[in-house]
Amino acid sequence: MEYILECRKIFKSFGGVQALRGVDFTLRSGEVHALVGENGAGKSTLIKIISGALLPDRGDIFYMGQPVRIDSPRKAQEIGISTVYQEPLVYSELSVLENIFLGREIRTPWGNIDWKREEEQARSLFASLGLPHHFLREPMGELSVGLQQLVLIAKALVYEAKVIIFDEPTAILTEHETERLFTIIRKLRDQGVGIIYISHRLEEIFRIADRVTVMRDGEVRGEFPITAVDRAKIVELMAGKLLVEEIARRGVKGDHPLLSVQGLTRRPRFFDISFDLFPGEILGFFGLVGSGRTDVAQTIFGLFRPESGKVFFDGREVSFGSPEEAMQAGIAYLPEDRKVQGLFPIQSVAYNISVTVLRELVRRLGIVDVRKERDIAEKHIRELNIKTPNLKTRVYSLSGGNQQKVVLAKWLSVTPKLLILDEPTRGIDVASKSEIHNLIAHLADQGLAVMMISSELPEILKMSDRVVVMHEGRITGVFEGPEKTAENIIRAATGERMAVAGGVGV
Amino acid sequence: MTNTGFRKVLRRREFTVLGLIVLLVVLFSLTTERFMSVSNLSNLLLQLAGTAISAIGMTMVIITGGIDVSVGSTLGMASVVAGKLLVGGYSPFLVLLSALGTGLVIGLFNGTLIAFGNVPPIIVTLGMMSILRSLMYQLLGGRWISGIPPAIRVIGLGKWLGVPISMWITVVLIAFFTYFLSSRPLGRAIYAVGNNPEAARVSGIDLRRTTLFVYAVLGALAGFAGLVYVARTGIVQTNTGSGFELEVIAAVVLGGTSILGGRGTIIGSLLGAFLVGIIKNGMVLLNVPALSEGLVVGVLIILSVMIDVIRARGERS
Repeated sequence: MEYILECRKIFKSFGGVQALRGVDFTLRSGEVHALVGENGAGKSTLIKIISGALLPDRGDIFYMGQPVRIDSPRKAQEIGISTVYQEPLVYSELSVLENIFLGREIRTPWGNIDWKREEEQARSLFASLGLPHHFLREPMGELSVGLQQLVLIAKALVYEAKVIIFDEPTAILTEHETERLFTIIRKLRDQGVGIIYISHRLEEIFRIADRVTVMRDGEVRGEFPITAVDRAKIVELMAGKLLVEEIARRGVKGDHPLLSVQGLTRRPRFFDISFDLFPGEILGFFGLVGSGRTDVAQTIFGLFRPESGKVFFDGREVSFGSPEEAMQAGIAYLPEDRKVQGLFPIQSVAYNISVTVLRELVRRLGIVDVRKERDIAEKHIRELNIKTPNLKTRVYSLSGGNQQKVVLAKWLSVTPKLLILDEPTRGIDVASKSEIHNLIAHLADQGLAVMMISSELPEILKMSDRVVVMHEGRITGVFEGPEKTAENIIRAATGERMAVAGGVGV
Repeated sequence: MTNTGFRKVLRRREFTVLGLIVLLVVLFSLTTERFMSVSNLSNLLLQLAGTAISAIGMTMVIITGGIDVSVGSTLGMASVVAGKLLVGGYSPFLVLLSALGTGLVIGLFNGTLIAFGNVPPIIVTLGMMSILRSLMYQLLGGRWISGIPPAIRVIGLGKWLGVPISMWITVVLIAFFTYFLSSRPLGRAIYAVGNNPEAARVSGIDLRRTTLFVYAVLGALAGFAGLVYVARTGIVQTNTGSGFELEVIAAVVLGGTSILGGRGTIIGSLLGAFLVGIIKNGMVLLNVPALSEGLVVGVLIILSVMIDVIRARGERS
């Protein structure tokens, strides 16, 4: 048996979108196999299939040489495949010991939980990992996220894991915690555990991995021993020959910046952020999850106070204490999660569109002017081509794309000067996506300044006049014109600081 | 170590409640003559038994993140069944089984709808509360049940070593369920389900079975409390047990069980029951109008849930 885990020709599609197209993946005992790729490359789908959260449409999985069907996370755990997620899945109120053993208790002959033996086993486990174990009886919630993660690794070992999957484990760890995690991963590898390691941070992969597989568009684009590949090669494979759509723009960039951000800092989220945004311009913000893009946008919008730095809007220095102030000044913010922050799902389309201007709709005696509400809603439904049976339709019954258009309409009804879009097309069908793209371009052509955060490289490349790239809270590159390439952007997003002609922020 | 350990004990809700109880006992024994009398104290214990027994089950339900507002009606329904059978001359053992069975069936019904039908617990049990109450009207036809045979009343009124027998039973039940919650895998699963259902699912805990279990146990315990009630008062009316749910929930919540789920102890609920009982008893002795008793209990419930929510918010940030 050469491999502990072997995936052969795995296919998986979601509603017409092919997420995996015949992926092969192998793992040996005692190796760290890194898996890299852009968002949407298919990494998470593959991991979900291996960890039992999804079943493949086609393809075979062999585990210890035998074909297996992993149809639940429970099953995966029982045969020895454990996953350590980015956000640890813990019981914060229960003790560390219970977090390790719940679901697989050691029992006394009477069926009671044998706390003593559990504690002994946990102690020796922690000792073997070189970890302190004085906190075994403390509530899990009192541990740092880094320690919680290590506890879950210990839990995997209780299940006698032969394969451990790490899904971006260092994204929320401090440097010190990352070092400790690496030490432990090496120890596990030396004990013969097979490790699948997913990370966007290429420098980590060169430090920890023995092999690396690069995925793009649901396929494996390359698989190398780590010594036989360099950073440039990996980036090239991740970026590939991206098919970038063109979009017609009139190019009416104004002369003076509408928004000018200088040295904006809010530790630990972002540091020294400076950029200008002109009327009629679409400024793309690219970066990995946790790179601080959303935090910057929300701080500009008045949801958080910056520690230092200045924001100039429309010619004067501003410091918005609340989103309301920012809205009054002419900024609209379309949040990332439209279900939580953007919509009132059980209210009507008309209500959702006009809720931001409710105050202007109020007539004497505090009664809402229903006719005006209807007029505003009808205008936007027409302009944005929202497909809804009528004005009274409840928003949750619309498609994702049309829901997103309603959110957009809601913010456009306040006639903003600056529109901040956070992942404007996430989870939306292709047709609506391109409609929303056209709409954004149209708005910019009319002189609106647009700040567009997106994790989808094709979208960033298609829509942006300029691209700001962030990595771990800092701007690592600003690209426009011929510099605006997939490769440059990925390199900056994975932490390579780019020297850009003209400097950052111009 | 001992220092921080001691501080942890001080920080626990149980300790605060115990402190309040001591304070009130001192207060009431100074301001009223009858509070510290043997007859009053044993009367207090008699009244408390039913609340404490039901609070055991309610603690488990609330730890899973649920609630059951039908306990009062369940108690009432069980006491109707028990009362009718007792008057009809059936054996005490059969009556005991019927009271337990009535509660168990109601609890299973609630639990099934909540666990398998995904109906919110507050709605299921609110509906059940109303249904049971109107069934009681039907069964009693507006009349009282009285003339309960004295043999059974030992459960409600008898004493052993000066302490009511019902209190002894309560103590045994509390000991058993405390052991169950702290040492049995299913007991720990109850905390897991309330603390993080997603994590519980991934670790292979059966969410539905656990949910069904806690409502069934609460039903059975409330049924038993119904029998204790009949044995103590010797009377069943159509409004028997109405308002009882508030008392039980108050005891559990005051005792430190988090309404958000995942945290709580039965000992805490017992202390909570004592606190509520002493407040009620003391205010009667002080001749305070019955209205303000509800006022005090209501304020205490809201305060203790507020503490939970503020605490949870602090942990998240």
